[in-house]
Amino acid sequence: MFGYWDALYFVYVFTIGLIIAYLLMKWAERVSSGTRRTGAGAKIFLSGEDQDNVIPQFEHFRGYFTGRHIMWGLIRGINRMFIAFRREHTGLLGDYVNYLLITIALVLGALIIWG
Amino acid sequence: MSVLPLVIIIPLLGAFSLPIVGLLGKRIREAWALLISGATLGVTSKLLYNVWSTKETLVYTLGAKSPIGQGVNFPVRIVWEVDLLSAIMAFTIAFVAFLAVLYSIEYMKHDTGLEKYYVLILVLELGMLGIVLTGDIFNFYVFLEIMSIASYALVAFRNDTWEGIEAGIKYMFVGSLASSFILLGIALLYGQYGTLTMAYLAEKMEANFTLTGKIALAFLIGGLLFKSGAVPVHMWLADAHPAAPSSISAMLSGLVIKAGGVYVIARIAFSVFGMAVNMKTLGWVIIFFACLTLIVGNAMAVVQTDMKRLLAFSSVGQIGYILLGLGIGLAAYGTKVGEIATAGAIYHTVNHAIIKALLFMIAGVVLHELGTKDLNELSGLAKAMPKTTFAFIIGAAAIIGLPPLNGFASKWLLYESSALFNPFLGAIAIIGTAFCTAAYIRVLYTFLGRPSEKVMDAKEPGAAMLLPIFVLVAAIIIMGLFPWQISNKIMIPAASMLANIKGYVMAVMGGA
Repeated sequence: MFGYWDALYFVYVFTIGLIIAYLLMKWAERVSSGTRRTGAGAKIFLSGEDQDNVIPQFEHFRGYFTGRHIMWGLIRGINRMFIAFRREHTGLLGDYVNYLLITIALVLGALIIWG
Repeated sequence: MSVLPLVIIIPLLGAFSLPIVGLLGKRIREAWALLISGATLGVTSKLLYNVWSTKETLVYTLGAKSPIGQGVNFPVRIVWEVDLLSAIMAFTIAFVAFLAVLYSIEYMKHDTGLEKYYVLILVLELGMLGIVLTGDIFNFYVFLEIMSIASYALVAFRNDTWEGIEAGIKYMFVGSLASSFILLGIALLYGQYGTLTMAYLAEKMEANFTLTGKIALAFLIGGLLFKSGAVPVHMWLADAHPAAPSSISAMLSGLVIKAGGVYVIARIAFSVFGMAVNMKTLGWVIIFFACLTLIVGNAMAVVQTDMKRLLAFSSVGQIGYILLGLGIGLAAYGTKVGEIATAGAIYHTVNHAIIKALLFMIAGVVLHELGTKDLNELSGLAKAMPKTTFAFIIGAAAIIGLPPLNGFASKWLLYESSALFNPFLGAIAIIGTAFCTAAYIRVLYTFLGRPSEKVMDAKEPGAAMLLPIFVLVAAIIIMGLFPWQISNKIMIPAASMLANIKGYVMAVMGGA
């Protein structure tokens, strides 16, 4: 199993993550016409144009860049995922039953084929 | 005399005598409920100590000395069969239930119909204890229904709000459908193999595993995934758990989804079907649902504004970790990685029961003192309720998995085994934790923020509510200080006893 020094593995992964993030940022600055450095305190907003259209629940976030490229796409993607999740809960009894039947069908299929 | 039957007799006697004892007065009724749950805690600790010190599976036959019938060589009587996993579960159930009863004394003070409440809470405890002790699959179903019916009633206990009634009805309808699938699975097994004793079923299925057996297993797993609140059959949980009184939410999220869900999945997958089914397939089926549960549960928790709903979704997410450990334990059966994963799942079951009970009790304190559980109205709670906020910080840090608290050790075992089994699963587990962290940071951010007008005149609750909260905080910290000792001395032996399928079968069939 993992030993004491294997924790360094996480430092290594984190460092690679940082390097990838830095390269992405440099690339975004260079290729895009939108992403630009505006200094500390730039608002992170949903639309590239509308500064008041901030991300719900993350209004207090401040960054260093503005524009609508990689970071914008990433944040928008995550935001849309959460919106989809919020819509997912219909509260309809019929849905609950459908999901139960689908689950049992999936398990049954897998077990009959490979079980 | 074995303490085993007392584990069921005490809460059963306590529950049904409570309305009569309650005639003597309100205080006596509360003291009786506390005494009964305390005595149950006492016998389950003795049971845990007995099983842990001998590492032997205890068997108790109802109404006879041996489960084997006269003149035949197979078991015909109902047996209770307790290995270390069952004993750990029984102790956890009795511990959290005792604290929930203690907490209820002040929390439910202003409610009416409390004689029903205390009867139901003891019946709920009894149902869960029966599930973890039994070695008979139909007897398991009976206890499952006892537990489920008590929880349907308790979810709708506060019937002056629509929230409780709606959640209770939905929970009852869909829960009954899931129970029907479980019953259908049991009926198919009985029809095919002619026995209900789990150990004998395992032996018969090893000799001849038929298509009917596979269909029965699918019905059982589907129904039990529902009962454990796994995605995509988790939606009832997000309605039912927040609607119940907080002391009950603590038991539902902390215990019911584990005793009536993941524990039974583990028992059925290992001890009953383990020698017959393709473990790898069954393991991967559970891993598939575990990954969905992990991501969706934790991510849904991030977007909630209702504190109890956030905690309910967080429970869904944590069930994902437990199922992941179990799935890997099955798929990598017989290897060290499999054993560590199963131990991690068992460890996380206990830890999550304690942590989630604490967090729901805190949500109850907030609701009791401020009349709201809407996070947007709770800004700056730390100023008015520092003790409660401190307890919440400990609970949140433990559920995220920060050392040196108890959640760290179990999550570490799960990360470790999943990364070694399949790095992709390790990454999914870490992403789940990232969402979990985001969800709890949001609550902490709210509690530690600028005080809003609403929270200014809030005050700490009384001792009867704070005492169980701080007992749980102490349990989290103490367990966090000895993570590897607990893991090596209790959880890994429990996992290896669970994986020793022959041992489980021989404990009952030994005399045959």
